[in-house]
Amino acid sequence: MSQLPEMAHHSRRTMLKGLLATAGGTAVMNWGGLFRSAAAADQVQRQGKRCILIWLNGGCSQFETFDMKVGRPTGGPFREIGTNLPGTKICELMPRIAERMDKLTVIRSMHTSQIDHPGGIYLMHTGYAPAANVRFPEIGAIVARYSGRPESDLPNFIKISSQGDAGSGFLGPRYQPFQLDQDGKLPPFSSSQLSAQAEGLRHELRDFLEAGFAARSAAEPARMHREAYEQARRLQHVRDVFQIDQQWERYREQYGDSKLGRRCLLARCLIEAGVSFVEVGQSGYDTHADNFSGHKALVPCMDQAWAGLLDDLEERGLLRDTLVVWMGEIGRTPNINNRSGRDHYVRCWSTALAGAGIKRGLVYGSTDEDGRDVRDSPVTEADFFATVYSALGINPAIENYSGVRPIPLAPFGHRVVADLLA
Amino acid sequence: MQIGKARQVWQLEFAGEWPTSVAFLGDSRHLAAGNRQGDIRVWQLPEPPVPVEGGKSETAPDTPPAGQLKGHDNGITHLLATPDGRTLISASLDRTVRLWDPRADADGAKQVLAGHRDWVQALGISGDGRRLISGDDSCLTIVWDLATGAELTRWTGYDRVWVTAAALSPDGSRAFTAEYADGRGSFDRPAAQARFWNATDSSLQQDLLKVWLPDIKDQDRGDTYGYAQAWGKLFGRGLVCAAFSPDGSLLAVGQGGETGTGKVHLVDVASGQIARTVSGHQYGVCDLCFSADGKYILSCGRDTMVRICQVSDGQEVLTLGKSRGGQFKDWLHALAVSPDQQWVAAADIAGLVHVWQLES
Repeated sequence: MSQLPEMAHHSRRTMLKGLLATAGGTAVMNWGGLFRSAAAADQVQRQGKRCILIWLNGGCSQFETFDMKVGRPTGGPFREIGTNLPGTKICELMPRIAERMDKLTVIRSMHTSQIDHPGGIYLMHTGYAPAANVRFPEIGAIVARYSGRPESDLPNFIKISSQGDAGSGFLGPRYQPFQLDQDGKLPPFSSSQLSAQAEGLRHELRDFLEAGFAARSAAEPARMHREAYEQARRLQHVRDVFQIDQQWERYREQYGDSKLGRRCLLARCLIEAGVSFVEVGQSGYDTHADNFSGHKALVPCMDQAWAGLLDDLEERGLLRDTLVVWMGEIGRTPNINNRSGRDHYVRCWSTALAGAGIKRGLVYGSTDEDGRDVRDSPVTEADFFATVYSALGINPAIENYSGVRPIPLAPFGHRVVADLLA
Repeated sequence: MQIGKARQVWQLEFAGEWPTSVAFLGDSRHLAAGNRQGDIRVWQLPEPPVPVEGGKSETAPDTPPAGQLKGHDNGITHLLATPDGRTLISASLDRTVRLWDPRADADGAKQVLAGHRDWVQALGISGDGRRLISGDDSCLTIVWDLATGAELTRWTGYDRVWVTAAALSPDGSRAFTAEYADGRGSFDRPAAQARFWNATDSSLQQDLLKVWLPDIKDQDRGDTYGYAQAWGKLFGRGLVCAAFSPDGSLLAVGQGGETGTGKVHLVDVASGQIARTVSGHQYGVCDLCFSADGKYILSCGRDTMVRICQVSDGQEVLTLGKSRGGQFKDWLHALAVSPDQQWVAAADIAGLVHVWQLES
């Protein structure tokens, strides 16, 4: 059963407040601007919770990570190792995470609906399947909207070499992700070729012209355009946050000498600096061919980077308020194909959570002996996002409007999996 | 080797997990194959049935294995036999190399060569059968004395780079190793290596990438993107098989992984230059060997074919098996040639061991 939404019923007047109308009278997105939604954001912001998403692009195999079937025809060549959670074993490719299982909640019973990459990436970034008439916002945009600090010079939603093109959806351009490249470097457009003085003069001129335009036009896009420039200008004050070379020398061993390790260190630095959502990507998991060598190449460096991140967050006292989400868009098939690969699978697969609002040392749900079906406690995408939002202190039933349509943060029919929450 | 027609004489079913390796044991009737689970089975092949005149059967007969060798608890990656066929050598994902007496009744290997730290994915034997080379996924290579099972020398490469192929020259004095890092974009380190070594003292003899890619300087090898691009053109997704010619003058290396068309390069050992590129298997080469007279190179791959090419000019002179169609096919994972050079065996990922007879 889904929770009764706190604001499940909006009056017609409230709904209309949330609409913008064009000159022709067509309803357009309100960029999430409902009054109650804003009030909810104020409440959530005070909690100060943040989120890091480790995104395993292509779909990491549950059989080669958290849900092994050693000795079964579906098992593959890797072996299990014990963890610091009594009775729980995981893949030998993750020895460091094995020693930190007491910090995690692992969900072995994910059961989702989109089996291919575009749909799966959209689904596991928004909670919703792609739809022609609604642009759903990504989790990063939602966290930025409700937990982010509007006054911050830093963007509230940053992606480091990751995927997902839903962006801020109907929440509007203010919550679009700020993209960094695979080395975590700022994009070229973020730095000016002009001197500080010339740049300041240019800003004043642009501001003057835009203020004049804004006085004649109340159109939302014009305001957003000004805000985007203002954000870019403010970013110049905090560029040092993105420079982690010196820190990298100190933390290289802890995070592992890999690009993913460096991205995770940068994520920690950004979170510490006040960014509310950082997504860190690792690509290459779509192993239709050579699944085992593929995972052998990818998982160990992910293991070290993830473990290093958890340790670092905890040592700095940040893990209590930072939720670390580990997932890709799909799982992989039990059957091993004739390319020594595993294909896409969403009937049962694994994700993991740690930190803010989440129980420590829990393995939730299970699958059958060959990993073909969920045996108990299925978690749908709606349940997953509802639970994640709840852990972050965001009511998953909060509604925004896309046109006249109310859209809850987590899809209708969701169930908050209370067993996962601390 | 006499190349004329070829006839498939046996189609041996390997029940259970798919076969990954195959070797003849001293003669053409004695055959061993290993699989992805760690099982090794041995066949004593009877006289093949005479084909029916005008018969058009698509399948060859099966005959059950005579025995099974138990000991490995994870997949077999390679099987080799000493020239006299009295010792079978297996490499495995269980991190061991094992020596077996395939004719003995006793269970278990006669010797377990422990020393590897990770999956043993590369295995080679010198032409005189006195030395063995093995390489693993921790980038550790070990040269062994086969008579005693003692380590002669060892060397290591970069962390998280794998030894994907290893070979010894006929006299065992020179070693070749190929290394490769899948997921190379994750690291600031060289994506791959191909090197000749002194197999006695592990000193580096020649870095073949300096010959093949002379424009790439040492300091650029950490630039994984540029380096991998250059590497990719030459070697696809890594070299997964290697063999010296019987006279030691050539080295054959095969492009593996799922790549466009896996090629076989013939390398002049004296200069390190690629002398010729022969054959090609769609989606990658799996295994290769020279004929005993050095005139032919045989390879198998992900196109479900065995291809036999002339070393002298690279011309393909015979193919065994049939392409199974479709975008992706099964693999012929490994091949072996009988000591009398008249029989060829291939391990098929579909669960079979194919045996062909070459007829002059």
